[in-house]
Amino acid sequence: MTEVLAENGKPRAVKAAADDLVEVRMTVNGTPAVLSLPARVTLADALRDHLGLTGTHVGCEHGVCGMCTVLVDGEAARACLLFAVQLDGADIVTVEGLGRPDDLHPLQEAFGRNHALQCGFCTPGFLMSSYDLLSNQPEVTEEELPAELSGVICRCTGYRNILTAVRETKSAHPGGIPAPGNCAHRALVGRATGQAGVSTDGREVTEETGDTRRIDIVLPDGDPTIAVDVGTEIGVPVDAVWRVFDDVSLLARCLPGAELTEDLGEDQYAGRARVSVGPIKLAFKGVAHVVEHDRAGQRLRVLAQGQDTGGAQTQADIVLRTEATATGTVMRAEAKVYLTGRIAQFGRALAGDVSRRMFEQFADALRETATSGQAPTGPVAAPSALKLLFAPLFDRIRTALRRKSR
Amino acid sequence: MKAAPFAYVRPSSLSDAIAELASTGGGGKVIAGGQSLVPVLAMRLARPETLVDINAVAELDRFGTADGYLEIGATVRQRRVERDPVSATVPLLGMALPWVGHRELRSRGTVCGSLAHADPAAELPAVACCLNAELTVTGTGGARRVPAREFFSGAMTTALGPEDILTAVRFPVAGKGEGFGFAEIARRHGDFALAGVVARVRVRGTETDAQLTGFGVSDRPVTRSAAGELAAALRESGGEVSRLPGALSDPLTALAEELVDTDGDAHASRDYRRRLFRTLASRELSKAYERARRSAGEVDS
Ligand SMILES: Cc1cc2nc3c(=O)[nH]c(=O)nc-3n(C[C@H](O)[C@H](O)[C@H](O)COP(=O)(O)OP(=O)(O)OC[C@H]3O[C@@H](n4cnc5c(N)ncnc54)[C@H](O)[C@@H]3O)c2cc1C
Ligand code: FES
Ligand code: FES
Repeated sequence: MTEVLAENGKPRAVKAAADDLVEVRMTVNGTPAVLSLPARVTLADALRDHLGLTGTHVGCEHGVCGMCTVLVDGEAARACLLFAVQLDGADIVTVEGLGRPDDLHPLQEAFGRNHALQCGFCTPGFLMSSYDLLSNQPEVTEEELPAELSGVICRCTGYRNILTAVRETKSAHPGGIPAPGNCAHRALVGRATGQAGVSTDGREVTEETGDTRRIDIVLPDGDPTIAVDVGTEIGVPVDAVWRVFDDVSLLARCLPGAELTEDLGEDQYAGRARVSVGPIKLAFKGVAHVVEHDRAGQRLRVLAQGQDTGGAQTQADIVLRTEATATGTVMRAEAKVYLTGRIAQFGRALAGDVSRRMFEQFADALRETATSGQAPTGPVAAPSALKLLFAPLFDRIRTALRRKSR
Repeated sequence: MKAAPFAYVRPSSLSDAIAELASTGGGGKVIAGGQSLVPVLAMRLARPETLVDINAVAELDRFGTADGYLEIGATVRQRRVERDPVSATVPLLGMALPWVGHRELRSRGTVCGSLAHADPAAELPAVACCLNAELTVTGTGGARRVPAREFFSGAMTTALGPEDILTAVRFPVAGKGEGFGFAEIARRHGDFALAGVVARVRVRGTETDAQLTGFGVSDRPVTRSAAGELAAALRESGGEVSRLPGALSDPLTALAEELVDTDGDAHASRDYRRRLFRTLASRELSKAYERARRSAGEVDS
């Protein structure tokens, strides 16, 4: 057993046997995280395997190559030379926290512009090391740059372009370079191989265990992984659609791959969802909360949160709206989906295509249910691997061909 | 490249830390910054049963001047010392620290950890020896002070017993009439030195004292008085500064022969290291002398 003995401004006192797990609380890219780890796990492995942050690379694992460089309490450090348990109370920033895909940090911009990366293996290390240099030693001179950046090794670029990128960033920001731009509260979860970490900041009800307890679903800050805004025409009257919306068990059975397992009361429901896309197969267990059910205003809002056994996590904020038309109903869905873990590595574009396709399947099932007044027999099949993966591709090929033939 | 399992203890007081270390019966190891220890564990060159992490012990965080010394506690990181203005009281720290590994290592590595690790080519043990800093070693029997020149007893071997903690080091604050020199040659910045020198010269009226420490040239930092050599060179050069390094070269040849006793390796032969040492020592002694004279002059006028 791990014994947590005391707390002061320093890390908490700990006494753990060799086979114990030690609890460590740290902030990673703005998100508080709690991990339980064997003491010998390095920060690099904790970030990669337990928090799913694979941007921190691992080369030599003994402090020489610099691939694993991250910021610890604002200063660059080797994540392979720190045991994660030593970082209780520490503030960690990894390359994922430096900039956003659609709003890169100036250093990242400069690296791209100057071709300061080839294979990219050293790039996270160089970015974090040079961020540390320019933020903590802004007085550094051009002549000092090679020595100051010698803590990271690059096998590809010959260093010239890297030095140019750092020099340009420095001179473009004489008043100091901007802080990391992608640090916010979000879900952090690891890969299937590692034991998942939990992100918490006290905003969540942490005693949540499995799917039988009600929880407060707190959506992460920052941009969703996927934002879908889709609409479709359903050839049934609004009233019929709302009869399905009113019956959550009926509604759930229209959702591809979803299954309602328990009514938790107070508009919360436990359920399961299976998604299989290509080689990726995820089985989520989670909770959905109907936070708004406004028949007059024709708005239904559901928050959902699920975790898969491998540690992938998803959170979603879904708003369904209906509008009567001459021929039936237009249904619109606005969904913000936050993904972490394996599925997030899939790429935004394809994930967006997949969710749109799922919405279409949902609309089809909804039309059927609203028309017949009967739930589809059994849950709607989980989005099938081939269909889901290839349908978006076929769509794209078709669009491309259409464009060509014009 | 993963460490073998170990028990992990992070006590919050020095007495607990000492008790924990003692209770391991020699199977425990202190971890401070981990910048030397973790690679050793990762390569499984060592498999301590227990790591005693001293980073939660608030009383080891002391850093400041008192009684003519700059005291640095066991958890004070190298980079903090490098950047804190108070370190200007011991100019050699500012000259040596940028050479200790890289920024990314100094952010975690501690000054005391480097002394305890006692790599023969490390910079800080050499600075400690040249200034004859005082190390505070605390064990179950209490604390004792060990002069740096008696602390290092061989490659990675020190006066620390298996149950001792190096709790702090005190470097004498530079006084009037003192000047310093530091230089090393490494194959790449951040690598351990092929050879390096630390020089301290004190000018008081007509008296001149000079201490020279070499590192990377033996199994530990080696320190000798170079007062005689400096005096001879001063006579030879007629006190002309630009001629001093040249004039030192001859007198330092014998000293280099005596101090540099490491075997050659793939990077440098013993003779090359001796020449390197002599050249660096001539330059740095000259600079230290110049700085000492200036410092003495400033005070006089
Ligand atoms: C790539 C690389 C390059 C490096 N280059 C250099 C270099 O150029 N020059 C240089 O000097 N160093 C270099 N180092 C080594 C390293 O940076 C320092 O020696 C290091 O900072 C030691 O301090 P630490 O606090 O990290 O010690 P740790 O790694 O925590 O400990 C080192 C050893 O000292 C013991 N120890 C530590 N603190 C205490 C204490 N208070 N009481 C008793 N025992 C203690 C530990 O048990 C261990 O055996 C390099 C390291 C790497 C990985
Ligand atoms: S992986 Fe950490 S320095 Fe090489
Ligand atoms: S870009 Fe390939 S190692 Fe640097």
